[in-house]
Amino acid sequence: MDKISKTRIKALKVSLEYIFAILFGIFNMIPVFWGIITSIKPLREISRIPPRLTGFAPTLSHYITVLNGPFIESILNSLLYAILAILMGVILGYLAAYGFARRKFPLKGLLFFIVVVGIPLSGGSSVLLIPNYLYLLKLRLTNHWYTLPLIYAAYNMPMAIWLLIAGVKAVPIEMEEAANIDGVSQFYIVSWLIPPLIKPSLAAAALFIFIGSWNDYITASVMVSGNLKAIQQAIYEYMGYFGIEWGRLTAAATLAILPILAVFTFAGRQLVSGLTAGAVKG
Amino acid sequence: MVTMSNTLKKRNLFGGLYTVPAMILLIMLLIVPLGYTLYCSLFPFKYMMRGSFQGLNNFIEILKSPRIQYSFYITFIVTFSATAISIVVGLLLALWIDKRTGLFAYWIQLIGLIPWVISMVVAGLLWRWLFNVDLGLFNVIIRAFGWNTIDVVNKRIPAIIGLIFVMSWRTIGYAMVMILAGLKGIDADLIEAAQIDGASPVQTLFRIKLPIIKSSVLLSTIVLTVSNFTNNTVPKVLTGGGPVNATNVVTLEQYNLSFVYYEFGRSSALSILIMIVTILIIAAYIKVAKFEI
Repeated sequence: MDKISKTRIKALKVSLEYIFAILFGIFNMIPVFWGIITSIKPLREISRIPPRLTGFAPTLSHYITVLNGPFIESILNSLLYAILAILMGVILGYLAAYGFARRKFPLKGLLFFIVVVGIPLSGGSSVLLIPNYLYLLKLRLTNHWYTLPLIYAAYNMPMAIWLLIAGVKAVPIEMEEAANIDGVSQFYIVSWLIPPLIKPSLAAAALFIFIGSWNDYITASVMVSGNLKAIQQAIYEYMGYFGIEWGRLTAAATLAILPILAVFTFAGRQLVSGLTAGAVKG
Repeated sequence: MVTMSNTLKKRNLFGGLYTVPAMILLIMLLIVPLGYTLYCSLFPFKYMMRGSFQGLNNFIEILKSPRIQYSFYITFIVTFSATAISIVVGLLLALWIDKRTGLFAYWIQLIGLIPWVISMVVAGLLWRWLFNVDLGLFNVIIRAFGWNTIDVVNKRIPAIIGLIFVMSWRTIGYAMVMILAGLKGIDADLIEAAQIDGASPVQTLFRIKLPIIKSSVLLSTIVLTVSNFTNNTVPKVLTGGGPVNATNVVTLEQYNLSFVYYEFGRSSALSILIMIVTILIIAAYIKVAKFEI
């Protein structure tokens, strides 16, 4: 085979790969694209048969309607829930991870077993839906501002601990010993020395808790109501209220995706490495 | 830990205190509720009124109910189909991406994870909109080919296929990223040595790569099986269990028993059954993952 046809085949291969990559991107993003397009269509255009992709005057009216309604309250609620869950999950998760990584203590095996069992459960919290509903109702703990942060922190805690154990273990133990010999207090080591060294793990844990809290619908739907509503709950209820008013619904959905996509773009590397932390081990 | 020195060992007795706050939260919200539900499942429990102890009656009733038997049947079909599709497609994508490095590979991974990071409510409703019979993109394309439109969400078989499709769509990228991590863990020298010895790409794949990434494939299979089995948000938003109860998966039935019919005794019993299946899958997970501390 002569040189020219070889380079041609290579170029063809590369361009085929790019076409395939673009198709993969379209496949993954198509509902989002279609939703965004719908959200900026005027009402009459949405109900046009057949629908079209271009050639309409884009409008932000659905966004304005949505943001002037109670939806903004749900956005703020969910932000608060996520922030509280992140604070609780990262701080308590870090302390637990430090204990698991650096100490021996009674029942360590059993407690770690509970953490491990909790990891796959956090992927689908509907297993614990009825149990926690009945139990928290009995304790009169449903429908408070702290109900969802507590639950989200607990559900995402196993994954957070798992990620942070890997982080703490990567810090050389000699460093702690040296600090100890220099007379640095244990409190200082745990609260000021180690955290800056494990920033990526802390970020990954925070990211997982954020995604889990922000995206939860089913737990919120049974635990809180009224002005405590979470964002996904508000979106789901829009489906009923407006008799499926797709313009407003897709605008609300777009608003709900934006923070996730923003965080994801900036911290995607942490997410990927966090996700696969367990996979490469086995 | 063997490498741990004496200065740190001295404090061993109190070392467990670090884990106490997190473990209290975990035990209170993951373990105790299970026990309480087991207790509730042994009583008739309707509209928040608990009757007298009746043993396993709730379990017998739900296992006898044809409606719930169908729910389990359709849940198994949906769970296994969606998981199998995600794993197979994810594996193929991972083998493709493994050849590439740098930004290209990174962006493919990020794009692949997008369906997994957006909420199930949003994903479900956006697909429902896309499948809309008159106004959705799906039927625009179908019409462009000159075929008859399909009302995906309101026809039995299309609804089941649509549900499997959306659940697979959500997790293909996840499977890809997990399996890719396994592939990246393979020692490059090993592949090179095989190639020098004259192994064909197919042989390298079946004899070396697949056996080595077996555990990362198995691990993502288990995680996705649990996630699909316990997923009630996607079916609730996409099909609402319909048409009639064609896609009424078991977690949806559990939700409806509680919050539509207020049959908390039965829904507790059903929760326990779902839990048992989940625990069996998780037991496999722990065995494969070889978690150590």
